Amino acid sequence: MVAISSAHLRPRWQPQFEIPLYMKRILPFIIILVVLGAALGSAWYLTRTIPASPTLGTQSPSTSPVSQNSSAAQPAGNPGVPGAEPAHVLGPAAAPARLEEFGDFECPPCGMFHPILQQMHAEFGDQLQITFREFPLVPTHQHALAAASAAEAAGLQGRFWEMHDLLYDHQNEWKKEFDVRPIFERYAEQIGLDVERYKRDLGSDVVAQRIFVDGKRGHSLGVKGTPTVFLNGREVPFENLAAEKLRVVIQNEIRNPSK
Amino acid sequence: MKKIYGVAALLALFGLADALYLTIEHITGQSVRCTIISGCSEVLSSPYAVVAGIPLAIIGAAAYFTVFSLATLAIFGYRVAATLLRPLIIAMFFVSVWLIYLQAFVIREFCQYCLLSAAVTLALLVVMVIVPRLR
Repeated sequence: MVAISSAHLRPRWQPQFEIPLYMKRILPFIIILVVLGAALGSAWYLTRTIPASPTLGTQSPSTSPVSQNSSAAQPAGNPGVPGAEPAHVLGPAAAPARLEEFGDFECPPCGMFHPILQQMHAEFGDQLQITFREFPLVPTHQHALAAASAAEAAGLQGRFWEMHDLLYDHQNEWKKEFDVRPIFERYAEQIGLDVERYKRDLGSDVVAQRIFVDGKRGHSLGVKGTPTVFLNGREVPFENLAAEKLRVVIQNEIRNPSK
Repeated sequence: MKKIYGVAALLALFGLADALYLTIEHITGQSVRCTIISGCSEVLSSPYAVVAGIPLAIIGAAAYFTVFSLATLAIFGYRVAATLLRPLIIAMFFVSVWLIYLQAFVIREFCQYCLLSAAVTLALLVVMVIVPRLR
């Protein structure tokens, strides 16, 4: 009786070929631990903060004969082709930290980055120069180009930053709308633009050209998404764009500008 | 039957990699940067991406890791693991359905890797719950 029941209790995994029993028992746990270790290891490896890396400039001499627009003080490898002139700039050109943002007014992370950049502007004052470049992600964001045009048209009347702030602050108000034109016209009125001129400028070649040229500059610098931020010509990794990290990065740049 | 557990373990590994990717994106970027090819994530930056202060992606990674562990144990004959596997997968399936509902009707944006995770869970459900029933 005892013999039968013990045979009955025999574990199903009793091997047909000879692997030691204890091995068969332990092996799954080893596999599980290995996978756990690999998962935690890769997560740790990928989340640690990478120090600002030089921009991905591997230009072959043949591809860019004209673009070496050497504004001498660019320490990073790839200066890129010039963007629209005059650029939209806050702060003095002689600032030790010069930040350039490639942004898309419809992009949610750009919208979240906007108050951070405003905060940096307030904190660093004349130490920090901020340049905004248009980088509307056209197939992804249906109104991005319209928003970029609105900002550029406002820029033609000297009110770029006012429109820029309104567009970012009220991103959620317009991005789900079917027709954004009346909303942007309201903004134009709000910031005191000549609305008739604004409407004419929206479709003008000047506006289209500025957006195109900024985009070209972005592509030449290897910009793939938004927001992409360069500080003195070096790309700031996305994870360093949180306020407390960006502050440190800017402080470091002010302290050792030539590094 | 062992083969089924093997397939489940592989699927779970795939789901684990996907959930880890989402976790890393969540931690490093707060949300994913917008690019030309893939829409950036309103989903990951939405309040629904965090449950009780824990990123949902971490919970997903833990769930896939648990499925992987149970399936591996089941391959080696631990029957308790095999019995726990099914309810877990069914629970994960309902969570996935809820998350797709949130993406489709509440956030009104989809996140590719979130959908991939839902697809893996659906595949797990088919392999572990539906196929054995048909036999």
